Amino acid sequence: MGSLPFFLPFAELEVGQHLYWQLGNLRIHGQVFMTSWIVIGALLVFVIAGTKKMERDPRGLQNLLEFLWDYIRDLARTQIGEKVYRDWMPFIGTLFLFIFVSNWGGALVPWRLIHLPSGELGAPTADINTTVALALLVSLSYFYAGLSNKGLRYFEYYVHPTPIMLPFKIVEDFTKPLSLSFRLFGNILADELVVAVLVFLVPLVLPVPVMFLGLFTSAIQALIFATLAAYYIGEAVEEHH
Amino acid sequence: MTSMMLATEGFGLNLDLFETNILNLAVVIFGLYKFLPGFLGSMLERRRSAILSDLKDAEERLLEAERSLSIAKEELASAEEKASQIRKDCKTRAEAIRLETEKRTVEEMARIKQGAASDLNAEASRVSAQLRREAALLAIDKALATLPGKLDKGAQEKYLSQTIKNMGTD
Repeated sequence: MGSLPFFLPFAELEVGQHLYWQLGNLRIHGQVFMTSWIVIGALLVFVIAGTKKMERDPRGLQNLLEFLWDYIRDLARTQIGEKVYRDWMPFIGTLFLFIFVSNWGGALVPWRLIHLPSGELGAPTADINTTVALALLVSLSYFYAGLSNKGLRYFEYYVHPTPIMLPFKIVEDFTKPLSLSFRLFGNILADELVVAVLVFLVPLVLPVPVMFLGLFTSAIQALIFATLAAYYIGEAVEEHH
Repeated sequence: MTSMMLATEGFGLNLDLFETNILNLAVVIFGLYKFLPGFLGSMLERRRSAILSDLKDAEERLLEAERSLSIAKEELASAEEKASQIRKDCKTRAEAIRLETEKRTVEEMARIKQGAASDLNAEASRVSAQLRREAALLAIDKALATLPGKLDKGAQEKYLSQTIKNMGTD
């Protein structure tokens, strides 16, 4: 370092720095809560503004919201099936919109302008706690969907083609939330990290295509999460004969 | 670096151009701003025009349906009028037929009664005529039977003279 003719700042990039808030015995990640609230608030404003003055001629925000509604309806209907998809559309839509807006918000809003005492603001979905919570909600949902639709006959699903499947299906109940949460968390965190590292190495131009790629993958991740959630629910309510 | 050192105290603004990646973000946001409205906007516009044309179609169909409904209502009203007319005609005809039949029946009954009475009279006169004839035949038979015993010369003369006498008084 001393041999260098000018002072070069070392790239400093750390993962796992959080702004802790103490809540009873819990230490919660404050920066995740802040961005989540912002995302939820933005979604609420967006939805309320778009549905406040509904007209027959869909214009602007109302048109966009109806388009999203159509999209989510088609997704839920193809995965869950005609019979019960209406019950689960709000859940699937919430998952999709929350994850999508979180991912894009994390990638597009210049969060780093705001400096925190510790950690930094970013997509809520880049924190494993958020994605695990979402994935566990999906688990609860598909159990509830199966049990409420078929009662105890839901457990036929575990031995469905043959009883040999039983251990695999039981393992699946654990791997489903695991894969859901890790896939989303890993993708979003990796996007953020890649961009952050590139910005340190080549501050201009080069991060731009990677950022576009990040936008693309994070949109895909939202779609994958919502589709898989709907698929698991559909699998639980499916009638096999 | 200095901004970092200052900001570690608490919340604050970080205005370092490179550290905050603000330039790249501006490029990305500008690119989205250029690209998204074109893509999304045309999609939304297509959707809107499809919905509007659907609505227009539906309204036209509604108008058409209302028109045919009013036509059908008119037809129904005229048909009902016709039906009531027919019903009224039927009633008057039925009444006329009833009266006619009644009259005919009464006449028929009278005719039958009369026929029966005349039949009875004819029969009675026929029977009494027959009885009379039979009585006469019986009387003649009796007279013929008693005649040979009673009729002799004297009696015949007496009878003849008496008859001649009677002829004069008649």
